[in-house]
Amino acid sequence: MVLSFPEPAVMADHRAEEPSSRSGSPDEEGRVSEDRSLLHQRLAVRELIDTEISYLHTLQLCASDIRNHLQQLPQGDLDILFSNIDDIIKVNSRFLHGLQETASKEEEQVYLIGNLFLEFQEEFEHVYKVYCANYDQALLLVDAYRKEPALQREIQRIIEAVVPHGLLTGALEQECLVVDLARPLAHHKSQSMSRGLVSLCERITKYPLLLQKILENTLPDAGAYPVLQRATFALQDVNANINEYKIRKEVASKYSKVEQLTLRERLARINTHTLSKKTTRLSQLLKQEAGLVPKTEDKEFDDLEERFQWVSVCVTELKNDLAAYLDNLEVFLRFRPHECNLDIPGGPVVQYCNLARDLQLKAFLEFKQRLEALVWQPLCSLAKVLVGPQNLIKKRLDKLLDFERVEEKLLEVGSVTYEEEAARHTYQALNSLLVAELPKFNQLVMQWLGQVLRTFVALQRDLAEQVLQRAEGSMTQLPHQHIPEPDFRKLVENSLGQTSKQLRSFRENFEKVLPPPTTQPLLPGSERQVQALWSRYGPGKLYQVTNNISGAGSLDLTLPRGQIVALLQNKDTKGNSGRWLVDTGGHRGYVPAGKLQPYRVVPSEEERRGQVGPHEDSRHLTPEPTPTCSVPTVTQVVAAYPFLARSSQEVSLQAGQPVTLLEAQDKKGNPEWSLVEVNGQRGYVPSSFLARAPSPAPWGWSLTS
Amino acid sequence: MSWIPFKIGQPKKQIIPKTVERDFEREYGKLQQLEEQTKRLQKDMKKSTDADLAMSKSAVKISLDLLSNPLCEQDPDFLSMVTALDTAMKRMDAFNQEKVNQIQKTVIEPLKKFGSVFPSLSMAVKRREQALQDYRRLQAKVEKHKEKEKTGPVLAKLHQAREELRPVRDDFEAKNRQLLDEMPRFYGSRLDYFQPSFEALIRAQVRPVCATSPPAPWRQARLWMHLTHRWRTTRKCTRSSGT
Repeated sequence: MVLSFPEPAVMADHRAEEPSSRSGSPDEEGRVSEDRSLLHQRLAVRELIDTEISYLHTLQLCASDIRNHLQQLPQGDLDILFSNIDDIIKVNSRFLHGLQETASKEEEQVYLIGNLFLEFQEEFEHVYKVYCANYDQALLLVDAYRKEPALQREIQRIIEAVVPHGLLTGALEQECLVVDLARPLAHHKSQSMSRGLVSLCERITKYPLLLQKILENTLPDAGAYPVLQRATFALQDVNANINEYKIRKEVASKYSKVEQLTLRERLARINTHTLSKKTTRLSQLLKQEAGLVPKTEDKEFDDLEERFQWVSVCVTELKNDLAAYLDNLEVFLRFRPHECNLDIPGGPVVQYCNLARDLQLKAFLEFKQRLEALVWQPLCSLAKVLVGPQNLIKKRLDKLLDFERVEEKLLEVGSVTYEEEAARHTYQALNSLLVAELPKFNQLVMQWLGQVLRTFVALQRDLAEQVLQRAEGSMTQLPHQHIPEPDFRKLVENSLGQTSKQLRSFRENFEKVLPPPTTQPLLPGSERQVQALWSRYGPGKLYQVTNNISGAGSLDLTLPRGQIVALLQNKDTKGNSGRWLVDTGGHRGYVPAGKLQPYRVVPSEEERRGQVGPHEDSRHLTPEPTPTCSVPTVTQVVAAYPFLARSSQEVSLQAGQPVTLLEAQDKKGNPEWSLVEVNGQRGYVPSSFLARAPSPAPWGWSLTS
Repeated sequence: MSWIPFKIGQPKKQIIPKTVERDFEREYGKLQQLEEQTKRLQKDMKKSTDADLAMSKSAVKISLDLLSNPLCEQDPDFLSMVTALDTAMKRMDAFNQEKVNQIQKTVIEPLKKFGSVFPSLSMAVKRREQALQDYRRLQAKVEKHKEKEKTGPVLAKLHQAREELRPVRDDFEAKNRQLLDEMPRFYGSRLDYFQPSFEALIRAQVRPVCATSPPAPWRQARLWMHLTHRWRTTRKCTRSSGT
């Protein structure tokens, strides 16, 4: 519905003038027709101005009043409906102002009007093409509203409230206009909104018509003629451009949508038509590749496409790399060494923990959040934006194949079907769209990319500043802050070296908690001997025999197991350190060193080196404790009961007497008898008469027990 | 020490005074906790530094990939921007590497050394425990023999048992005393040990190895500022040339 004042007055004038021009001489007629032309011209001019006024009024009504009342619609919908109506209002207001100024200049008016149109040509094109291209979407939206009765009633109410009923007439009823939109409103109330919207599109188409009318009524030799002519052509161009733009947009929106189809849906889409389409394309492609058919080389487009691909790759790679970076950042934030509790109340440890906690909870977290919001999100949006053009480029290639085939056919046959013509147009539309818009698109993407990278750097800088600030703050509380770095490092190295020595000593101490040595029990009667040796030589020189020693040479001693001797020299006269000179308290002689073991009379903390003699230099730390109770061969036993020997092979026992067990079985292997030595005599005794005693001899040689 | 299995039915005789037992448990408990914390700290520190390095490596990858894009050949402004970014990322990576090496030397390795004492300690404690078991067992044996009638064989056995008991008891007491001595000293040594490490750790965040160059994050911050300034001017150029 166009809200305008019908202009019967103009019509009346027009018709009224006609009859008077019928009579008159040719000369007069010439003059009269001249006059008539001039009149028509003036009428046309007035029509232009008046319609412009009413049009602007309509615009403002739509834009301000109706739009403001449609508050219940979401803002996005309002934007679609009314598009850039504000811009249009601005442009047209200025235009009207210009028109009204020309009204005062009688003679030159048409000339000025022509110039005005030329002046405004670009702006009109710019502003109207956006609106017209968007128009379809707006219509769709209005249709959607119509389907919702509640909403529709509301909209009607608003429109009727804003615009008085009587003024709702059809569109401009002027015979010079091609489109007659006069319809009684009563039957088509539901279309009122759409009518309002279409008036804008129609206005721009009316300009060339109006200009044409003025031109017709202008004398060819009038000064204004060329200007007017140019203006007419210009406005026609404008319309053509807007049309083309609209087609491009339609094509783009058709093909650039990313369709998420399931497999089933995709299969459902296959029909004979699509199959034939695709096979034709494929055959065309193959013919090209085989060289049968020349390929259309469009260097300009190829360059553009190449650049687009690089840009696209750049964005994708950046996105992936940034995703990896964010993952790593997350992993980093997961570990919190500062949460350990070493039970150290103060000093650098506590400061470090505070600093680290601060950094993680504040600085890094903030960094992460900013990174996600300011770098990651824009980058994702950018990546999404690239999908549309990708699709279009793919489609263009398909359409190109179609186009080439159609061209071939055209050459061969001379005519093409309607569908083929449509295919040609589609290709051309796509191609021109891409060629026109890709360069700007590429540039915009590069700018966007640059912005993203700069933001990334700015965030890194901020993080670095934060870390620096906090760490320096922490440093002022450190004890050695005044010491320059290399000296400090040396200091740390020294201190660590010292403490590591300390640690080593701790470790050794712990490892020294060894089992007590398996000392052999003393032979009876030898305690006094040991005491004598001990007092004469000192405790460090006492050794115990671990195995029976049978001396070979004249100076060698024969000693039983368990005997205590004192060391005189730890090598013999020839320098052999395997033979030691010892004192038994009675005799002196050599014994093999391997059969001696250091003997300690009093319990002490000193290290024992197990059963091994002084052969080895390296310290053998035996971490495994040998059980104190088990000695490999138990040879020292005590007779539990008295036993009378009944043969020469047996030996007598007294209760409580310590005996030396030599073998726990007899010659035939019978375990019931044991070979023992007692009082220098050897013989068999029943095994059950013996009580086993554990090996560790009394530590306590204690003079106090 | 409830993990000592003892035979059901045998009353647990308190052969060592409760206070001693309590002291021992307290000291050892503290050390056990310290061990756990040390292990945890070592692990976390290692993982944290690894993650730090991974982060800066992935930042370097960003600029490397950008550099390898053919756009750099076509577009000199883009090339200069990306080169500057690449330089900055590589420097940041180098600094991080330095920092991590420092941390490795002054914190992680000392932590390892500290932790290596604990196994010896636990072995020593086990040995003490075993000595305690033996002590208990032999003590019980002696008690058992004491309760029997005083016959010859019994007396002999009693004597034997007493002889066996004495070294074991002394051994246990020696071990106990030693550990009770050393454990608190070891626990206290952690103060001397950790403080310098952590001080070095804080300093590593601020100053690089070389004393003459400015502290790294400051250097980094300055580098970033320089970069953003350069890009702003570059952007102005592209803006004016593009439209």
